[in-house]
Amino acid sequence: MTGNIDPRRITRAVEESQAAEADRSDAIRDATAPEVTVPVGGADTLARVEAGFEADAQAAAGIAPAVGGATVPRGRGRRQWPLPKQADPDAPLLVVEGLRTYFAMDGGAEVRAVDGVSFTLNDGEALGIAGESGCGKTTTALSLLRLLPANARVVDGSVRLFGIDLRLKTENQLRRYRWREISIIFQGAMNALNPVRRVGDQVAEPLVERLGQDAAEARKRAGELLELVGIPKARGRAYPHELSGGMRQRAMIAMALACDPAIVIGDEPTTALDVMVQAQILELLERLRRELGLSLILITHDLSVIAETCDRVLIMYAGKVAEEGPVDTVFRRPRHPYTQLLLRAFPNIRADVRTLGTIPGSPPDLRTPPEGCRFHPRCPLAMDVCRTEEPPEVTVHGVRVACHLYPPGGEGTVVPVPIVEVVGAVADPGTGSVA
Amino acid sequence: MTDLIRLEGIAVHFPVRGGLADLVRRRPAAVVRAVDGIDLTVGPGEVVGLVGESGSGKTTTGRVVVKLTRPTAGRLLLDGADVTKVWGGDALRAYRRRIQLIFQDPYETLNPKQTVHDFVAEPMVVNRTVPSAVERERIVLEAIHSAGLRPAADFAFRYPHELSGGQRQRVVIAGALVLDPDLVVADEPVSMLDVSIRTEILQLMLELRRARGLAYLFITHDLSLAWVLADRIAVMYLGRIVEVGPAPAVIGDPRNPYTRALVSVSPSPEPPAPGVRARREILAGETPDAAHVPPGCRFHPRCPLAFDRCRTDEPPLFDVGAGHASACWLAEGGRPLPAATRLAGS
Amino acid sequence: MSTATLTPAQLRAERWRLRVRGYRDGWSRYRRRPDGLIGLAILVVFAALAIAPSLFVGPLQTATTATGTSLQPPSLAYPMGTDELGRSILNLTVHGTRVSMIIGLLATVITVVIGAVLGIVSGYVGGRLDTVLMRITDFFLVIPTFVLALILAPIVLEIVGTDAELFGIRVTLLAIVIVIGVTSWASTARIIRSQALTVKERMFIDRARVIGASSAHIMRRHILPNVVALIVANTVLVFAGAILTETTLAFIGLGDPFQPSWGQILNSAQTAGAPGLGAWWYIVPPAACIVLVVLAFTLVGSALDDVLNPKLRGRR
Repeated sequence: MTGNIDPRRITRAVEESQAAEADRSDAIRDATAPEVTVPVGGADTLARVEAGFEADAQAAAGIAPAVGGATVPRGRGRRQWPLPKQADPDAPLLVVEGLRTYFAMDGGAEVRAVDGVSFTLNDGEALGIAGESGCGKTTTALSLLRLLPANARVVDGSVRLFGIDLRLKTENQLRRYRWREISIIFQGAMNALNPVRRVGDQVAEPLVERLGQDAAEARKRAGELLELVGIPKARGRAYPHELSGGMRQRAMIAMALACDPAIVIGDEPTTALDVMVQAQILELLERLRRELGLSLILITHDLSVIAETCDRVLIMYAGKVAEEGPVDTVFRRPRHPYTQLLLRAFPNIRADVRTLGTIPGSPPDLRTPPEGCRFHPRCPLAMDVCRTEEPPEVTVHGVRVACHLYPPGGEGTVVPVPIVEVVGAVADPGTGSVA
Repeated sequence: MTDLIRLEGIAVHFPVRGGLADLVRRRPAAVVRAVDGIDLTVGPGEVVGLVGESGSGKTTTGRVVVKLTRPTAGRLLLDGADVTKVWGGDALRAYRRRIQLIFQDPYETLNPKQTVHDFVAEPMVVNRTVPSAVERERIVLEAIHSAGLRPAADFAFRYPHELSGGQRQRVVIAGALVLDPDLVVADEPVSMLDVSIRTEILQLMLELRRARGLAYLFITHDLSLAWVLADRIAVMYLGRIVEVGPAPAVIGDPRNPYTRALVSVSPSPEPPAPGVRARREILAGETPDAAHVPPGCRFHPRCPLAFDRCRTDEPPLFDVGAGHASACWLAEGGRPLPAATRLAGS
Repeated sequence: MSTATLTPAQLRAERWRLRVRGYRDGWSRYRRRPDGLIGLAILVVFAALAIAPSLFVGPLQTATTATGTSLQPPSLAYPMGTDELGRSILNLTVHGTRVSMIIGLLATVITVVIGAVLGIVSGYVGGRLDTVLMRITDFFLVIPTFVLALILAPIVLEIVGTDAELFGIRVTLLAIVIVIGVTSWASTARIIRSQALTVKERMFIDRARVIGASSAHIMRRHILPNVVALIVANTVLVFAGAILTETTLAFIGLGDPFQPSWGQILNSAQTAGAPGLGAWWYIVPPAACIVLVVLAFTLVGSALDDVLNPKLRGRR
């Protein structure tokens, strides 16, 4: 889009979006799936949400509803609101192939933050992207929406949302998708709120900017969104510093949901929160997923959070995919040595053994990543081939692994990594004192 | 065997300066009851995990133990001797030699203008404990070496910005070792480090405990971390200890509804078994701020098991056997907790 | 366990090596700033002129040794023309460099020392001491420089007498130095204090307290090194300000007519009616020097700021 913008196009765009809005509301209200209660719409639908929830709660006999992959209804069908005009109705929700994002540093060096990452996100799914700091998970998410800093660029790959390649879109065209189809809850979201504006106004902002709603309508809708995430409407008049950390995070979620996106990306959404508040937020996300038909990409270093919330997990290391698959399979039968070691590094409060594992070495400098498999300097099972050749991605038993221990055409049986080093309080049976 | 450190009835109240409106309306100044009467002991060579969410008062408790914060009430005893009033001179110096602190943020604990060597040597310089310069150097290098930074001489003259997060935390640990303390208060020592580095640092801390008989007061919000490391765990809520006992007992058989809820929501890397709903007690709301402590049991507004007595009387710590105690009316008489009877709602 | 010990001599050597490396790094960073280099070059030139003016233009010309005709425009013999007494303006300007620079230097030292000490102590100690010191600072901040100068100058001159000499500078100039110092320290104190307040909140100060460090130790070893960058940046600007203040004071007649500084020359120019007579060569040289020096300081200051506060703080 170049040149002067015809004002009639704006009016038409606003009308179109409003019509789409109305369509969406109607479509969702008419949906046949029994669990779907509609939060987008009038106050009566909110009441329905509450009632449904109460019933749910009573049925659960006093225990709060669970969070976890097993309870997400599958096969709910495609989204109930109109797809973008260019969408391919048969394509999966999001397909990322061979994404490469490089950063240009001072002095000509290039940091290959994301170096060939592919994954698929299906409708209603929750995908967790895990890895340590510097592995490229945040950059991957930001690359989807091209919200990268000035010195970063996506050099290769495709990002297909409903089959539409977002990489080919110009900045202006991409705005149609940003926040309206994919939105983000940023890391440190509590500090991402503008301290001098009221929370309600900030939640209403995307409605005014993106959907062209007028101020009064936007404010009303913002109130509904706040209620949806568990903040009383009246608190919308508060400033961010008057809200607790958990409330601010909920406000950020409300903002992310403002335009009814298909996908919400959460970049470490619960990292700075207390464990109880974290549980509340994760449960909220799960409820929203169920009720709004949202798909979720959860980016975190905390494997425990992914274990409890996501359907699938993508483990990244040094800009590449190490392992990817259903949470159950990857976490119970991890194949990639990094996955195995990483899992052992998290304390397990439900286990009887009180131990923690280590991962030798430190993450590589992405300006000069190691030759061959990037993990080989730290891998206890490294072989000669690992030092020279990058492992190909192989799919075995429904899991994608990039490791020479799982060659193409092989059996794919799990190769356990020997316990490297373990630390923990181990009771001395004789005296009962602890070593 | 006497306890190394003993806190009796320690309270830390901060007055909140009233605004003009308060003055006009003659409202009494609010008091932030950060720590509101706790009893805690750490034995020699013991690791006690002090667990709580933000606003629980755990950091303030740690600061009281290292004498960075003055308690407004209560007693502090070291080896049975009352050191509550010790605030200066040789007595304070003697105290500091035995109790040291490791902070949470390795990026902030080091003065960016100070070399590793100066940082580690500083406690000796400031306390004039080792007059001989040669001896000081030996101790500094030995501490740096013990903290896993080898070769020590190589690391001694680096600046913090030349070190990684894990290395910086090792420097902090070396600095804490130099006076050969008996107790180290570790306030979230690994929460800002990468997962793979965490284990190394924790390993170092446990190794030092084995080699030097160090005791730790390990302050953290992460119950699962305390589970792995601590001999005993004390759970704090809004300025009081609500449960204390051997780690397996507190985690495996919690006798306080707050502890039980915390344990149930602490995530683990083991995904919930398919088809089984994870039984999580997610409490509603957040910890109230310490200036507005609820009457009676301070947890009662959020407690799924609260009944009438909880709203009026604050429960003391009841002994439930084997060094395990819980501050809950339901724990009186050593009974286990009943299942939750009403929704804790979100 | 075999760890080599370091003898005190090795320790000193290591520290020295570190310091040298620090300066070398700083210099290489500074070198990359063209504005800083230009400023530095200008200052070097003026420093040379200040140190040995006679080397460049011969001894200071007085009314009796003047050789030119009154108010002559620039010519080959007199590159910057002459004043009303027939003295070469070039000669006067170059000699004026020394006066201006030394006054600037001394005044800056007084300002920065008082300001930094008060700022650090007030900021770190806080409480009542802070309140008292800050009220005093406010007092000095608010008083107009000239009013204070007008009041102080005659008093100081009374005390000091008009004929003594120190470092080849007449003591009357010291009066001006004192006046400038006394009127400028307040703003420095405020700036340093606010930085000290920030540094005080950082965790390593807590750590220093935990190991038992005294306030004096903390201020000297922890607050000061983290405030030095700001002090240096401030010093540069104070220096520029001191020169400007001195100029203005001399211009309104509070200088010493026997030891001409640039301000003094401008004063003489005005008295001689140079503007009305169109004798631009009387005004431009000293004015240009002032502008150049102040500009040079500003450039150096901004380049130093870059060197001392690297924006890059590597995290994880």
